[in-house]
Amino acid sequence: MIDKILIAFKSIGKNKNRNFLTMLGIIIGIACVIAILAVGDGFTKTMTKGMGTHNDKGRVTISFQASSYDDTTSGFTQNDVSTLEKVSGVDHVKLDSSNTEANAKIQYKTKHESTSLNKSPKHLNLYKGVGTSIDNSDMSNIFISHDLASRIFKDESALNKPLIIEGNVFIIRGIYNISDFNYRPDIYVSKDVFKQLFANQITQDIARIYVKPDVNKKSVGKRAVDQMKKFGEDKQMGHYEVSNPDQISKTFTKMLNYVTYFVALVAGISLLIAGIGVMNVMYITVSERRKEIGIRRAFGATSSDIRSQFLIESVVLCVIGGLIGILCGYGLVAIINAFLPFKAIVTGYSLAISLSVSTAVGLIFGFIPSNKAAKSPLVGLLKEE
Amino acid sequence: MLKINNVGKSYGPFKVLKDIDLEVADGEFLAIMGPSGSGKSTLINILGLLDQDYTGEYLLNDKSYKDTSDNLLSRIRGDQLGFVFQNFKLLTTYNVYENIEVPLVYSKTEQHNKHERVEDVIEKVGLSGKEKHRPSELSGGQQQRVAIARAIVNRPKLIIADEPTGALDSKTSTEIMDIFTKLNQDGTTIIMVTHDEEVAKYAMRTVYIRDGKLYHDAKDVFKND
Repeated sequence: MIDKILIAFKSIGKNKNRNFLTMLGIIIGIACVIAILAVGDGFTKTMTKGMGTHNDKGRVTISFQASSYDDTTSGFTQNDVSTLEKVSGVDHVKLDSSNTEANAKIQYKTKHESTSLNKSPKHLNLYKGVGTSIDNSDMSNIFISHDLASRIFKDESALNKPLIIEGNVFIIRGIYNISDFNYRPDIYVSKDVFKQLFANQITQDIARIYVKPDVNKKSVGKRAVDQMKKFGEDKQMGHYEVSNPDQISKTFTKMLNYVTYFVALVAGISLLIAGIGVMNVMYITVSERRKEIGIRRAFGATSSDIRSQFLIESVVLCVIGGLIGILCGYGLVAIINAFLPFKAIVTGYSLAISLSVSTAVGLIFGFIPSNKAAKSPLVGLLKEE
Repeated sequence: MLKINNVGKSYGPFKVLKDIDLEVADGEFLAIMGPSGSGKSTLINILGLLDQDYTGEYLLNDKSYKDTSDNLLSRIRGDQLGFVFQNFKLLTTYNVYENIEVPLVYSKTEQHNKHERVEDVIEKVGLSGKEKHRPSELSGGQQQRVAIARAIVNRPKLIIADEPTGALDSKTSTEIMDIFTKLNQDGTTIIMVTHDEEVAKYAMRTVYIRDGKLYHDAKDVFKND
């Protein structure tokens, strides 16, 4: 066995260029396999991590969906909370909002605009100006996005300029950039200002119901939705449903699966073509080495020795290709990661798959040429020069 | 060592070997002489267990291998026979050492004995120090020594040599024949095909083959013409 592997390396090394070109298909195919699996694994990991916080035990979430998009005021009220807390199995209820952003009318000199607004995050990297957050101590300070600044102030510097929002004057203390993957509203104000001026805009459209221990949260959720359908204050303006985080992940997984199937198809086709290339090069090798086969047969090699020698050679060829493919796959994943909002990861499992696939390609496509080598009649082989 | 009775072979209607009888004793050095196309190579292929497709009976050490499976036959070739060919048939991409090692890959020789064996036969054929050379860096005579070393590395009882000096000049031929004589004196049976009378003289006995018929005496060869 070791002898045959050494023989395989030797004869592959003899035709480096030819064999490298043959490997190219495998390299591409395996690099694709590594990349798909990495993206898939990375996505699943990110999703399940994100889901983890929503999927807390002992809690069920019901959401209100308004029938009209213009309606931003309907949702759960304090009365609804009391109604829900009376449902059997419910411990307590907290309201939340799926959309925490407000809409504000702004004015600078004669320019009017309507734009998105929110309370300042704890930490923000400014593009211009000083500070990282707006605290409640200076309520007239605001940060605005670079986009808004260039829309309103054109070539002027927006820093320290006044801006009128809903009739109140604020001073622009900082300008921030909005990246492609990180959504931000156009204006940040302090928490208190947000509460005073815009809280009424935020719809309480999510009710998180904390159930008592040892209670089936699914049936609690169902009973809660039934109650809201009967007694909900805004029941005319929309409908209530149990929101199921598993369902979201299911849709995403489904979408991801389609992408995976497509890239897998590409990888599969490239591996198929690579396999045909391997078969071709093995046919050439076998016919070039008829003399060698004859010599080995005369000195004791059985036809299965010959078969396994060429089969091992084909597998070694493919596995070398597979290993290079794995390295290229790492490179590909690094490139993909530069463009992805989540991190693709190469797992040991995907390395194992890649190596098995390249071994399988070598075995499948090397079999017929190896068999041909093994079955050649000896007397004819020894006439070769 | 071996015995053949009424062995014949045809390619279609053309009879290459016609009912040949031959017996070779243990330790004998037999030369088979004949012009090209006489059926020499066909005979040696049968004697060397390379060709099972013949009529009649061939016994090697009192055993017939006519119906033996290809796998077993390969092992018997490897263990009991050694081949030397006219054009050396060395693997051009392997060095001297690796060429000589080929039969050991398929034998049951212990790994640690292999190196010893190869070095041993390299010394026997007088190629010490040339282990790392490629065949292309060697003279014809040296290449044939490599081929002989390869043939004897598994310590076969019988060596079959097909025109071993066919590609060599007379001085080199003499050196090669000295090696064969030495091997024969050490107890190895040798069957050698040649068309060179000078070379045939090294053998203990010579038989003649012409148009597929075997003659034990040179006088008989042209008797039927």
